[in-house]
Amino acid sequence: MRNINFTKYKYFTLSFSFLAIVFGFVVTFGKYGGFAHSLDFNGGLRTVVELPADKSRSDLDGYFQSKNIEAVVILLEKEKNIYQLDIGLGSLATIEALYKEIPEANRESSTSAIDRFVQLLRYEYKLPKEKVLSADQVGAVVGGELTEVGITLLLTTLAIILLYLSIRSQFKFALASSIALVHDILMTLALIGFLQIKPSVPIIAALLTLLGYSINDKIVVFDRIRENAHGKDNLALSNIINVSITQTLGRTINTSFTTMISVVAIIVGGAVELYDFAFVLLFGVIVGTYSSIYIAAPISEIYDQLRKKRFV
Amino acid sequence: MQSYRLLILPFLILAVSFTILYPNFADRTLKIVVREDVYSLPGANQKELVNALFDRWAKDYGKTSGWTIEPQGTLPPKENPFYIVKGRFITSAKINQISQENQSLVSESKNKLEPTWIEETIRGGKSLSIKLGLDLQGGMRVVLKGDFDDYTSKLKDLYAKEITELNLTLSNPATKPEEKEKAKSRLAEIESSFDLSPMRKIVELEKAKMIIDNRLTTQNLTEPQVRIQKEQDAIEVSLPGVSNSAAILEILQNTETVEYRLEEPTPFLYKSQIADNERRMMDLGKRENTDIFLFQELVKNKAGKKAQDEFLEGLEKKYNIPKDFKVYAMWARGNAAKSALLPRSFVVLERKIALSGNDMTNAQPSYNSNSYGWMVSFTLTPNGAEKFFDLTSQNRGRNLAIVWGDKVISNPVINDPIAGGRAEISGSFSEQEAIRLANVISEGALPIPLSVLEMRFIGPTLGIESIEVGVKAVAIGFFLVMIYMIFYYRLGGFIADLSLLVNLIILAALLTLMDFTLTLPGIAGIILTAGMAVDANVIIYERIREEIEEGRALSIAVTRGFENAFWTIMDANVTTLIAGILMIRLGNGPIKGFAITLCWGIVTTLFTSLFLSRLFMELAVNRMGVHHLNLRPFFFGKKETTNA
Repeated sequence: MRNINFTKYKYFTLSFSFLAIVFGFVVTFGKYGGFAHSLDFNGGLRTVVELPADKSRSDLDGYFQSKNIEAVVILLEKEKNIYQLDIGLGSLATIEALYKEIPEANRESSTSAIDRFVQLLRYEYKLPKEKVLSADQVGAVVGGELTEVGITLLLTTLAIILLYLSIRSQFKFALASSIALVHDILMTLALIGFLQIKPSVPIIAALLTLLGYSINDKIVVFDRIRENAHGKDNLALSNIINVSITQTLGRTINTSFTTMISVVAIIVGGAVELYDFAFVLLFGVIVGTYSSIYIAAPISEIYDQLRKKRFV
Repeated sequence: MQSYRLLILPFLILAVSFTILYPNFADRTLKIVVREDVYSLPGANQKELVNALFDRWAKDYGKTSGWTIEPQGTLPPKENPFYIVKGRFITSAKINQISQENQSLVSESKNKLEPTWIEETIRGGKSLSIKLGLDLQGGMRVVLKGDFDDYTSKLKDLYAKEITELNLTLSNPATKPEEKEKAKSRLAEIESSFDLSPMRKIVELEKAKMIIDNRLTTQNLTEPQVRIQKEQDAIEVSLPGVSNSAAILEILQNTETVEYRLEEPTPFLYKSQIADNERRMMDLGKRENTDIFLFQELVKNKAGKKAQDEFLEGLEKKYNIPKDFKVYAMWARGNAAKSALLPRSFVVLERKIALSGNDMTNAQPSYNSNSYGWMVSFTLTPNGAEKFFDLTSQNRGRNLAIVWGDKVISNPVINDPIAGGRAEISGSFSEQEAIRLANVISEGALPIPLSVLEMRFIGPTLGIESIEVGVKAVAIGFFLVMIYMIFYYRLGGFIADLSLLVNLIILAALLTLMDFTLTLPGIAGIILTAGMAVDANVIIYERIREEIEEGRALSIAVTRGFENAFWTIMDANVTTLIAGILMIRLGNGPIKGFAITLCWGIVTTLFTSLFLSRLFMELAVNRMGVHHLNLRPFFFGKKETTNA
């Protein structure tokens, strides 16, 4: 079989990834001042309302967009036209201003943000009181503790994978896989920040899934490299890497393709609230595959070269 | 792997899995119990409630589900006060909805989904249907407010004796000034502990949160979320898909404690006073007027703790019992083997707590074959052991009562001082009660009583629409992947699909058996499992094809293909498994749900791809006369020739 020279572009791909990550984070923190706010992570207002039959999701979406209120609209029950509206904390000032525009006669004085939002909504959609099924100011469900647990988790996982792979194969492969995993997470986070995707429980699930997928992918490629390198210490590693990646290419394409089929089905299917989940996952699968070939393998090669230089 | 007798194994496992999954698809029976008080309402009100139920039934509950309800349109007879609903896919969310929307008609805590025969046989009636998480189907949210008044009154009991002594010291003219000063400062210290600062409240709430967490874990609920709401001194508990809310609420709020209290000194002045009066009543033939009979009736009618407390306080007034003592009921079983635990007589104990639950740890229930009953043994903390020794040496000959919640369960005589820090509680326990008591001692009781501030059933965080579309999309995705595998690997693809299906069935059965609550992250874990299972087969087939291309005979190529792929698949899955186990141990909520499905998915994937696929493949090649194995896609792989 024809051999493809994958490692030829290693400096290009490594710098490309590095720049992409830096760019993503610079935009995230420079332009937007951080990741998007979401109810799951920052808390906010949550109301459940039963709308008149002639109002639909697009009416709500249009209304919030025109008023510049960040809202997530979720259809809870189709037949009764019941929607859940999640409002991020960032829109409180806008709501405050809009509340003041309601004619005096239609508003009861209130100081709590949630009351004001409910009155605004009732005024706008002419809703009687009993159609507002629930209204709460909610705290973050997963926010702070999750970030903390997440970082500990990621570091411990990496350490253990490093150890396991060092024992099972060689340190350089273990190191390269770990760096590539970090690369995948950072790339995805950069994308989440760049596109200002709202962090949520499904997004966490997507991150974890891509982590699992990515580990799997790297190990398959490295196992082949290790097998091919067996007893050929004098051969250049880059050659072995290229042969191995070419050999596993069929498998890599097939696996990425089948995984993507399920993910794309979710995107095309049109499940509105699962869109972000599927999108992040799709990106993750592509990044995971890319990094096994263009990040992990070259890093192991560079590490190998550096080590040999030291001993010569 | 030449023994095809092993083929029996997958069939056996599949049969077991299908059996476990059966309750999910079976026709089920739900009993909706009508509240007792509805029958005493005027006819018009009854009619109104019944009509409301059936209006909603026609519009909502029974519309798409194809469920039947009996009796139609009327109130069920008083002797059988329930509606029988029959149908498939009866979810706890729907049961909740029916209960919540018909609160004045339905006695929610008694609604019961009848177990299927499978649940009856394998789980003794416990449910085997897959539970869906709060994000998928909604569930219950309870906000429990800490009752700090009750907390301080309990604290006062604990310090009662010391306060009296200190006051005595202060009022005694013979005390030296420095001792008075000391007593004064100690008194101030005690009083200050009754005064609860916001910080103290948070600390107590944290303790309560931990205990609730523990209690919920033993209830097999996978993703309960327990949070403290600082602003209102409350604890918020989210319980996905919980239908039996009354039972869970009881578990959450249970403030049972275990403590030792000394009984009044002999000759039991107050106790005999009560007993004499009771006996007189009996002699007059007025058994139903005796206090113990009245108290038993109160218990049998499930009157709450408050009513029971009031009754006992009434007795204290009736018999003029001094403030330092308190009346308790002594609970025991009757002589019959299965008779209920009921109050049998009254005892009078010191108000002061001699040894509290905080001094005990590590309780274990055990069966005592000598007395044919269950008992609980426990360890005392070092401080507790010292207190216990002092207590038992100073009060020889007196009775030391063990109070569980507000029940006295035994009051042995102190014969000798007890040292060593281990002790036992024997009483007439059933196994369940012994376990509960041991839990109370080990986990500790809730430090503060909790009252329900708010209880709500909430909808799913993902919309109905998204869940429907999402499930459909995942199903279509799987279907396409399976088609693709057949297209690409032909017979191999078919075998891979077969083992993927078996994989998912076993996984579903395993998760059901473990009472797992399925959430969206859990579904993500299943998608990843499927992806990795397909990957394992792809790795194997690529290896087999390489062997074929190198000119090996088919049966050898298959064997070698599996052998070569073995460690790659192992390595990939074991590393992911390590990550998954870490996530289970460190993570919470969504992370945990994902990790549990992932870990079990890896176990089933290893089994199906390394064992099952191989069994099928070798069977096809060696026994079923498959001479050509083309692992190239249709249309593209025609030119490649394969070896026989």
